[in-house]
Amino acid sequence: MSKRKVKETHMPVGECISQVQMILRERFCHQRLPEKPVGMESQHKHLLELLRRTAVHGESNSVLIVGPRGSGKTMLLNCVLRELLEVKDVNKNVLPVHLNGLLQTDDRIALKEITRQLNLENVVGDKVFGSFAENLAFLLEALKKGDRSSSRPVLFILDEFDLFAHHKNQTLLYNLLDVSQSAQAPVAVIGLTCRLDVLELLEKRVKSRFSHRQIHLLSSLSFIQYLDNVRSQLSLPQDFPDTKFYDEWNDSIKTLCEDQSVVDVLQRHYNSSKDFRSLHLLLMLALSRVSASKPAIKPTDLLEASRVCMVDSKANILHGLSILELCLIIAMKHLNDIYEGEPFNFQMVHNEFKKFLQRKSHSIHNFDKPVVMKAFEHLQQLELIKSMDSSTAKIQKEYQLMKLLLDHSQIMEALQKYPQCPTDVKQWAMSAFG
Amino acid sequence: MFVGLLLSRYLNMSVEGQEAVTTVTPGQYILIEGNDDEYPFVAKLLKFFGDESHKQKKALVQWFLRLSEVPQNKKLLLGRSPHPQEIFYYLGRACDNEINAESILGTVHVRQDNSPDTLYVKLSWDTKAFNVLDPVLMQDTPASTPPKPALPLFPPCASPTATPVAGSVSDTRATMSAGKRSTLEAESIHSASKLSASKILSAKRRGSAADTPGVRKKLQLSIGASECLYCLFNILFSPFFPELRKELRNSVCFPCFLIQVTPSTPRHATPSIPSRTVPARQPGNILDEARARLHVSSVPESLPCREQEFQDIYNFVESKVMDGTGGCMYISGVPGTGKTATIHEVIRCLQHASDMDEIPTFRFIEINGMKMTDPHQAYVQILQKLTDQKVTADHAAALLEKRFSNPAPKKETTVLLVDELDLLWTRKQNVMYNLFDWPTRRHARLVVLTIANTMDLPERIMINRVASRLGLTRMSFQPYSFKQLQQIITSRLNKVKAFEEDALQLVSRKVAALSGDARRCLDICRRATEICEHSASHPSSTGLVRMSHVMEALDEMFSSSYITAIGCASLQEQLFLRAVIAEFRRLGLEEATFQQVFVQHRALSRVEGLQPISVSEGLAVCQRLGACRLLLLEASRLDMLQRVRLNVSQDDVLYALKAVRD
Repeated sequence: MSKRKVKETHMPVGECISQVQMILRERFCHQRLPEKPVGMESQHKHLLELLRRTAVHGESNSVLIVGPRGSGKTMLLNCVLRELLEVKDVNKNVLPVHLNGLLQTDDRIALKEITRQLNLENVVGDKVFGSFAENLAFLLEALKKGDRSSSRPVLFILDEFDLFAHHKNQTLLYNLLDVSQSAQAPVAVIGLTCRLDVLELLEKRVKSRFSHRQIHLLSSLSFIQYLDNVRSQLSLPQDFPDTKFYDEWNDSIKTLCEDQSVVDVLQRHYNSSKDFRSLHLLLMLALSRVSASKPAIKPTDLLEASRVCMVDSKANILHGLSILELCLIIAMKHLNDIYEGEPFNFQMVHNEFKKFLQRKSHSIHNFDKPVVMKAFEHLQQLELIKSMDSSTAKIQKEYQLMKLLLDHSQIMEALQKYPQCPTDVKQWAMSAFG
Repeated sequence: MFVGLLLSRYLNMSVEGQEAVTTVTPGQYILIEGNDDEYPFVAKLLKFFGDESHKQKKALVQWFLRLSEVPQNKKLLLGRSPHPQEIFYYLGRACDNEINAESILGTVHVRQDNSPDTLYVKLSWDTKAFNVLDPVLMQDTPASTPPKPALPLFPPCASPTATPVAGSVSDTRATMSAGKRSTLEAESIHSASKLSASKILSAKRRGSAADTPGVRKKLQLSIGASECLYCLFNILFSPFFPELRKELRNSVCFPCFLIQVTPSTPRHATPSIPSRTVPARQPGNILDEARARLHVSSVPESLPCREQEFQDIYNFVESKVMDGTGGCMYISGVPGTGKTATIHEVIRCLQHASDMDEIPTFRFIEINGMKMTDPHQAYVQILQKLTDQKVTADHAAALLEKRFSNPAPKKETTVLLVDELDLLWTRKQNVMYNLFDWPTRRHARLVVLTIANTMDLPERIMINRVASRLGLTRMSFQPYSFKQLQQIITSRLNKVKAFEEDALQLVSRKVAALSGDARRCLDICRRATEICEHSASHPSSTGLVRMSHVMEALDEMFSSSYITAIGCASLQEQLFLRAVIAEFRRLGLEEATFQQVFVQHRALSRVEGLQPISVSEGLAVCQRLGACRLLLLEASRLDMLQRVRLNVSQDDVLYALKAVRD
């Protein structure tokens, strides 16, 4: 670090904190590409070599990148593209075309998008002229006219590749892969998907034209590496303006990662999923609790963030129910116990509820049937119960068969936390049979 | 670029263009600058006159058309193939017969009898039909030309495309399909552009000398706005200046008033991929070379292993071409067995033979069921490849029907290759019916070669009358045996020594056992060269692709990734899979609801000493496994009641989980 920098290191804490938040948020939310993808060196090399050969030698290729959600498929591809475009001869030569199966839901839209991104001559401004058939013929003609040595290579990047396989006749895939296997303009077809069985979706002719190169991104990250990653993700970069704060922050992160409760929280997250996207969510929540008065992440922040991440959404809804609705839920629970998960209807629930009122209840007064019905319907709207009949069947509301979408543990947990729950209701819930 | 500049340049130049030196006299036939340097417009000069300001010489002409200038869809009206030197007397009224004297290129001879080297005229064209030319019209009487209405200020097609009101942008799609527009309108655009093209060209030629880029003459206000617009439209609508139009695509600014011009429809767009600035690098080392040769796209010197099929198809097509008859052939075979490649090879050889005058000439057309959006597009594509016409599917079917059923002299045989035939299936099967019916017509001279994957396609999907017309000329391509695959690779490599002999044999045996797909075989070899290249840094490597490299490539391509995926899954995901199996065992079924599995999951995590997870988390775990398709799930809105199935065999799961624990 230069002398000049050491001199002007003193920044107010507030400014430092806002700097920190900016840097880390960019890491966690804006999907900033890391310098080098972690734990996928061989895949990185394979893909880079492949695309480089397309870009430099004009060799057509096709490849699939397969990995579970959040495993870094897009990150890997973007890293490779970034690296590829840094090569001097390449960046002016390749034409990347980005498609996404969720956006281009059929071949017509996909073709228009390809034509638009390639900016062929039937594109004016943002509009693509011609019918679907014309567009297809035009694109194929354009690709056919090209040749290996003189046309610019086109990189077709198909995100959510499996969705393209659902298009009618798989026309687009057939044609792209056919171009990649014939002496036409050089193309690279890169598919990204999380489905391991993606090849089984391809029609036999399409499958034969695919080169069967698959790059699997399956993280075999150990917990130690995971922990290292957390540390490096939270640490500040070397060029942070305030050196004093830089040291303090990085030291505090180091001690944070050695704290046993933090390690436990992270272990729990690691056990549940290894992907970095859910980790980023957790760290983001912890980061948001940092302020000028508390300029470091404390173990409690991480515990709190983890609690927010892990919370059961259904239990949360249960906290907001009225006592009547809660009673109905308990009645349903008992019905489930008695009939071993068979569906029930409103009348059964109401009977169960009335039995409780007559026998045990002192605190809950008798509700009219329409009021109970209303509460029942509210539960249905919250999707805590679900109708088993098809919607076409005309059955009176009272006799529609329903199923409870809650687990016993969720109900009991909610009862424990429910504010000022009457004791007799609690006891009713705990008792074995109604 | 601003139109203002363009117009001022034109005006500026037309002032200077007085000293045109031409020695033409009225009554002579002249050539006028047009869109095509080789084929300038032809006209007969009627008289000279000066324009209103007496600054510019103008001329009155009688136009003659070449067949290339007749609209596409009217060319058939001639009913015969035209002589390249034939021109037609133009009787239409839409074309302005005033031209600038400067645009005259020179004189030309035009006769009324058929002579090989000069232009001749026999028919007249009145925008609707060809008629025999009245000889009176050709006599040298300038006065006999019929008076013609002045060209309207706005060509009829201009109104939907551009409006002189600022800011209003009309839908450009209105002018998109030329087929819908009436013939008269199409004709008028054509003729209007004829005039404007010559104007602009001459203006451009002289302007290049006089104009410097720095000088921007202000447009004089005396010029009528309508005149400006007219010029502008001419420029916009002339198809000859793509570069001008490109510049004008953006909104155009006028010095006197602002107009917005919507982008013009790219009617003459040429399909092409931009070319690269640096040429592609050539393969450097032996492995690169081998890889290039092994790419499926590289055309081999010869097609080994399909000699018998080649000979059969060759004989079939050759005999049909020789006899001038028609016929159908059905070729089947699994993907990657060289069906299309063999036919292309046959056609290449036949073309060669016809070049050597051994057999009559023939046309080869190829369509592919997968490369069209709808079976009826087959007609459109065939017609476009035959005659370069662009029409709708119904019209194309009618035209093809006419073409193949009517006798015509000097008709050459057409060889039509229909790839992926099964995709041309329609409910009424009329596309297939027509394709197989045309060859049976007496005058059709059509040979249809069809390709599909299944051998029994005609019996399975075709109704009797279609299958019967297809006939029984069938051929099936068997999957390649390992010897053939080996031969294919060796012949492709063509003495480039990159593979060990054993390695080649392993690839070909493996592929032959699986599918016999030559593409797969070549792809594996290519991947093996890459792996070899990566491991080339080892001191022990010989630079040749060895067994180990091929094994690795085979592993990559054929091994199932499920087991690795289970091994790499997170702890909770693995636990969930165990819970699924435990629940299946308990139920004795291969299906369970999430709720049931979750109970097992909770019990298992207690056994393992893990903190039990909440239902939400459990569902998330389940969804993640479902996204990878390790599990098959019902729609997620069923929540806890969604049913769960394994997409892998239970043994695989247990094997993978055991491997993890050890």
